[in-house]
Amino acid sequence: MRRLRLLLRLAARNVRRQARRSLLTATATVLGTAVMVFSFSLGDGAHEDWIEQGVRLGRGHVAIQRPRFQASRHLDDRLTPAALERAQAALADPEIAARVLTVAPRLEVQGLASSASNAFPVFITGVDPEIEARFSHLSDRVIEGRYLEAGDRLHAFVGGRLADRLNLEVGSRLVLTGQDAAGEIAGQFVRVVGIFRTGIPEADEGIVHVPIRTAQEWLGVSGAATSLAVLLQSSDVVEDTRGRLRQAVGGETSDLAVLTWPEVTPELAAAIRVDNFGNYLFYGILFTIVGLAIVNTVLMSVLYRTREFGVLRALGLTRGETAAVAFSEGVLLTFAAGIVGMALGLAVTWGLFRQGLDYSGLLEGDFTISGVVLNPVIVPLFRGARLLQGAGAILVIGVLASIYPAVRARRIDVAEAMKFEA
Amino acid sequence: MTTGAPTGPAVRTEDVWKIYEQDDLAVEAVRGVTVEIARGEFVVLAGPSGSGKTTLLNMLGGLTAPTRGRVWIDGRDLTAMSERERARLRLERVGFVFQAYNLLPVLTAEENAEFSLLLRGVPADQRRDRVRALFERIGIGGLEDRRPSKLSGGQQQRVAVARAVIGEPALVLADEPTANLDSATSLALLEVMARLNTEIQTTFVFATHDQRLIERARRVIQLVDGAIEYDDRR
Repeated sequence: MRRLRLLLRLAARNVRRQARRSLLTATATVLGTAVMVFSFSLGDGAHEDWIEQGVRLGRGHVAIQRPRFQASRHLDDRLTPAALERAQAALADPEIAARVLTVAPRLEVQGLASSASNAFPVFITGVDPEIEARFSHLSDRVIEGRYLEAGDRLHAFVGGRLADRLNLEVGSRLVLTGQDAAGEIAGQFVRVVGIFRTGIPEADEGIVHVPIRTAQEWLGVSGAATSLAVLLQSSDVVEDTRGRLRQAVGGETSDLAVLTWPEVTPELAAAIRVDNFGNYLFYGILFTIVGLAIVNTVLMSVLYRTREFGVLRALGLTRGETAAVAFSEGVLLTFAAGIVGMALGLAVTWGLFRQGLDYSGLLEGDFTISGVVLNPVIVPLFRGARLLQGAGAILVIGVLASIYPAVRARRIDVAEAMKFEA
Repeated sequence: MTTGAPTGPAVRTEDVWKIYEQDDLAVEAVRGVTVEIARGEFVVLAGPSGSGKTTLLNMLGGLTAPTRGRVWIDGRDLTAMSERERARLRLERVGFVFQAYNLLPVLTAEENAEFSLLLRGVPADQRRDRVRALFERIGIGGLEDRRPSKLSGGQQQRVAVARAVIGEPALVLADEPTANLDSATSLALLEVMARLNTEIQTTFVFATHDQRLIERARRVIQLVDGAIEYDDRR
């Protein structure tokens, strides 16, 4: 331990001794790390916004449904009133309930919307109007009329592009046609109470909301739903909540499946993965360059001090210990610069952009990706796990970059080193 | 690792050779040197440049392995040891003084001098007491906290001598220790080393062609072309 302290003391002082060289390398590491923290905070903030939009329009952070429903989308795979009761009971577990913001029952069916002038395939969702208003926020996107209300029965809330295609306006009549529980084609007259526009073409021309009771009666599935969509406080608790819910509904063999948003909306999860991959690739290249700068600095330092390393050996240090001095110099330099870089990145991101980075000037109109509209204001999100990941990456770079200089220090021949002139 | 108090010679070599091979050329730097140096001796390896003094010194200290032959320090065969064992032996039984002082620039004079004690696990208060006492004895008291760059050449070499003898090694090897010093400083340093040789009975072996040092030595081993020309005991 005493020897290790001595080696670390030598390493730290040598880093300080080559102040200008160390500072230049440290600056590259500090800036690289700061940019990484800045970029990942904004990236995570943007992704969280995508997820938030995606889960609200989709089936929540977590959805409880029949195992086969995700593939079949058929009413045969619906949640009966008894199954719904079991699912609600699982959600009432205090550990789970503490994380749940809203639970929305949905009865989803693919069908056809027809007006006097045209017909168009749509995705019809029977919803509880009061709950859904808090869940999907479609009520905030009304451009004409209003969202569904508790007393509504034969009413529908439709997207603006669908309204245009079917030549609909508030008060217009519309026929919804779908396959009922008996396998028969069934139609339902409804009247448009409101029109919304999200900016997402697929949503604006493909979504129709009707009261869930209306849908249940029309499709002959009284009291049933196809899924329970669960909105959580944050996407960070999705996996853990899914695990708890799975246990609560009877485990892997249960007739109730608990799916997470990436399983329900895989295209959104893929978009986030691709975006993250781009970031990782960029930082891989950036930190390779930083790593090479560290190798250069520590290697130059080792070569310049060949005689010193020879002296250390002559004084009784082993080859491994002299290598450890060089190795520690690289790791100390990188890690210290990494910590400063993280602090700088956090300070800049928090200090300048905690209210959000507004890039609306770069976007013309709505820009969508995988079913969500890009928010022109990105609010950074600081995740402890992400910071640890960054610190780990810096440490790994420091370790990798210090190996070669350490090997060179280890190979130094003592007698030859004594002849060395810096 | 030390095993009690050794009683044989401090250093012994038996038909030691060092041959450097470069391309197709073999250079015999040391040729068949057999020598025995008793405890407490003050020995000079003399000879012109290129006569093999430094190479022999490096082999005596375990810094270079002989091409053939054997070297013993305190009765322990260096040539049969692993690298790690030789490092341990250097730490505990051998001190080095180099021509260019070779103090570690990031350490203070005191930290340089106590280096081997620290590696050997001597407690901090004992290290400090021993270094300060030795610094007083060799005339550099009060310079403990200075970095090497703030010391004169003579002061640096005294710190180097202190670093070599602080652990009371069996053998101190000095390679041209006065080569970079002026005449007065050289003589003062010689006084210091002669006194330490007498007081702590450490064996000193110098590689030098400094005539003043040769005149003071009680034994001079003259090397020519890597071989002993004569071994003169006075």
